[in-house]
Amino acid sequence: MKVFDANKLNDLAAALAAKGYRVIAPVQDGDVVRLAEWAPGAKIQPGVIPVNSAKDFLLPRSEVIGRYSLDGNDFTPQQVTPEAPKTVLLGVRPCDAMSLAALDTVFNWDYADEFYNARRAATTVVSLACASADDQCFCTSVGGRPDSTAGADAILRPADGAKRFIFDALSEKGQVIAAAAGDLLTEAVATVDAPADVPQRFDARTVTRWLADNFDSPLWKELSLTCLGCGACAYACPACHCFDIQDEATRTQGVRYRNWDTCGLGLFTLHASGHNPRPDQSARWRQRVMHKFCYFPQRFEMLACTGCGRCGRLCQAGLAMAEVCRRIDEASKVAK
Amino acid sequence: MSGMDALRSDAAKLLRDGAVKMVVGYRARGDQRVPAFLTDPDKADALTYDADCKQNLAAYLRKPEVRRHLPLAIVAPPNVCRSLVLLAAESQLVDGEVKVLAVGNGQYHGVLDVAGVAALLKEKYPDLAPSEELVRKIGELAAMSPERRGAFWMEQFERCTRCYACRAACPGCYCTRCIVEKNVPQWISTAAAPHGNYAWNIIRAFHLAGRCTLCGACEAACPQGLPLMLLNVRVAQDVEEEFGAKAGYDPAAKPVIGSWSPDDDDEYMR
Amino acid sequence: MTENVYQPTTMRIASARDEAPDVRTFRLEFTDEAARAKFFEKYRVGMFGLYGLPGAGESTFCVASPPTRTGYVECTFRKTGRVTAALHDREVGQTITYRGPYGNYFPIETWRGRNILFIAGGIALPPMRSVIWNVLDRREEFAKVAIVYGARTVADLVYKHELAEWGQRGDVQLTTTVDPGGETPDWKGKIGFVPTVLKELAPGSENCVAVVCGPPIMIKFTMPVLTDLCFKPADIYTTLENRMKCGIGKCGRCNVGSVYVCKDGPVFTLEQLNKLPQGDL
Repeated sequence: MKVFDANKLNDLAAALAAKGYRVIAPVQDGDVVRLAEWAPGAKIQPGVIPVNSAKDFLLPRSEVIGRYSLDGNDFTPQQVTPEAPKTVLLGVRPCDAMSLAALDTVFNWDYADEFYNARRAATTVVSLACASADDQCFCTSVGGRPDSTAGADAILRPADGAKRFIFDALSEKGQVIAAAAGDLLTEAVATVDAPADVPQRFDARTVTRWLADNFDSPLWKELSLTCLGCGACAYACPACHCFDIQDEATRTQGVRYRNWDTCGLGLFTLHASGHNPRPDQSARWRQRVMHKFCYFPQRFEMLACTGCGRCGRLCQAGLAMAEVCRRIDEASKVAK
Repeated sequence: MSGMDALRSDAAKLLRDGAVKMVVGYRARGDQRVPAFLTDPDKADALTYDADCKQNLAAYLRKPEVRRHLPLAIVAPPNVCRSLVLLAAESQLVDGEVKVLAVGNGQYHGVLDVAGVAALLKEKYPDLAPSEELVRKIGELAAMSPERRGAFWMEQFERCTRCYACRAACPGCYCTRCIVEKNVPQWISTAAAPHGNYAWNIIRAFHLAGRCTLCGACEAACPQGLPLMLLNVRVAQDVEEEFGAKAGYDPAAKPVIGSWSPDDDDEYMR
Repeated sequence: MTENVYQPTTMRIASARDEAPDVRTFRLEFTDEAARAKFFEKYRVGMFGLYGLPGAGESTFCVASPPTRTGYVECTFRKTGRVTAALHDREVGQTITYRGPYGNYFPIETWRGRNILFIAGGIALPPMRSVIWNVLDRREEFAKVAIVYGARTVADLVYKHELAEWGQRGDVQLTTTVDPGGETPDWKGKIGFVPTVLKELAPGSENCVAVVCGPPIMIKFTMPVLTDLCFKPADIYTTLENRMKCGIGKCGRCNVGSVYVCKDGPVFTLEQLNKLPQGDL
């Protein structure tokens, strides 16, 4: 098996950067660990789940999808080329890699989104199996595992008591990375460390079943009372992908942006007539849970949540998807 | 915090007596401190308060779903008390709607109404000021050239994702339609791009001029760790210097940016 | 490089007609022949498009002209917000952007030989107009055709000259109505809300398809009337509208339950509608 010393992660990043990859890795940024572009001097911090998700690099928070030149009353459309530098996501969690299946599906069913696809094609995903987990992690409740290889081109497995990593190439792209790493990777035998223990917190199938029958449950009002209607959870979520399209122009140029958006904000579904199908936070919060655990599975046979726990970690209002699902799981038992 | 038991018992009593329909406070969830909405007096023991409680619970007063439970009680440290006084000054609170379980300096100050809170602030917390660390950093920024300072802020704003957690967390942000949600014309770009982020964050700070009570809930809520207090405190400093006003002390104060006097200096316009 | 699915094509405004206060119809011609051919390869009645102006944005309207007329595309819209105001200001000869056609369509092939009952209210006649003309352009393929159309006031009736045309055809039974109080002294049509008028007319449901488009309140009261007249839910067609941005099933805005209005709609039967979460409409 191919192995390398655990303290050589930054060297690996450097080797890949030297081969022309934009290296995105979890780096220390002040008090937090953030998935960001690695540069010499940056410290990769594999032990802490980064505050942001891999989604940032496949579906940027704001990108240009149209351009025009304007001349008086006339306009001329211009070509827009997607920005898709050769990228390696080095050391992303399996929960981030697993969410790519949902993004790949939405951006390709029927119409193919070339902006997403260009970046997806240019990206190699190297996961890092989790050696530790916290209270908010719940990958095992949604069909994932701390050492899952779903969505990954290669996976780094902590081994020999966190002293080394085993490099497992899972696809051609992964093998290219192995080759690019050169003699950083040596042939040796190592014992893979046990992955993190992530206890199951709820039964996702029960949740999906309950949701299909409980659109009008009073639980929505209760759960959503604390929600203040911002987009922090949706934007940190690796599976959330909803977006807005906005035009901005001067007298001579126009730009059409695609920006992140969220069903949690009031304007998302507001009609020009003033009618809003989801007029209050309880309806909007219900949509969030339904979309991830009921509608998306009905449509695409997969959940739109991978249990990364970021929503629970950063919501100031105290909401966490794991806790909501646990409450629903409980509610479904009471009903029986 | 000393007096925690008294706070819990007061909360339970207010509910039992029907003086309030709900107590909005904090509870612990592991290491986190999260909002608690208490309607059952027997569950008052779940309430807690310590320095890790960063949310400004006065923000919940803009939610119709919470207002349905008026009159209610709110657990409030000094800067949140100031928010309540501000809301009263801006006619967002009617006398008697809100009781305050005031805390501060490791103590519980008892159940007060808004007038009582104003008196408490005047007596025990008259000089609430930002931390020395913040003041020092702002001083450093002020000493920079405009170009360097601009570059500093652009670097910060690049991380902004326009999630509006800052707005959601702030009790002063209660407009039913925020300026960023108006599109005829679109005053502020909604793109999470440098130009849009710059406009949004600066304008929010301006809309809070003379209104920010320095609670820090916005910065605590920001998932990207933007140093929003550097902005808000700087604006508050300017307001104090130019207008002698500090938000949230006087329930009858007129809004600084909303009022005008013939004596106002108009030199800057010449 | 593959096609940018968000890139619109350009259309020129060939003519414009004011239907009602703030309501205008554009007749649009493609500036690119290849785009026109591609459009008509795909277009069936019921499909919608995103009409826009760089700098203002895009807005969703149905295509109001039938695929039997391949020289142009028509749309009718009310000036309501930022984009519609910008479109409303465009003049004949100027250009706008267009993306589409998107969505599903009315399965008129399955209506051949059947009676068709069209019911519309106010600004909702445009989505139905394309179906009506598609049927009338192929009149001999269908059995009886009846149209019931109403608006708040006489001024709010759209396509007035076409209403006159339909009324004068021997092979269409047209009933127009205005809300009580909306009539003018020389109004010759009925006076009453559309559902009320429909109930009075009591059209037969035997071998009949009903197509209903209107404001939510009209739909709410019309559906029970049709049910009482024994129309089957699978034979009642309507269109759903929701706020849209991408139009192609990605941005998530138009979802109702697991359905994407832009892909599974905008055409739905009542049977399909009844399966959706009613509180999400």
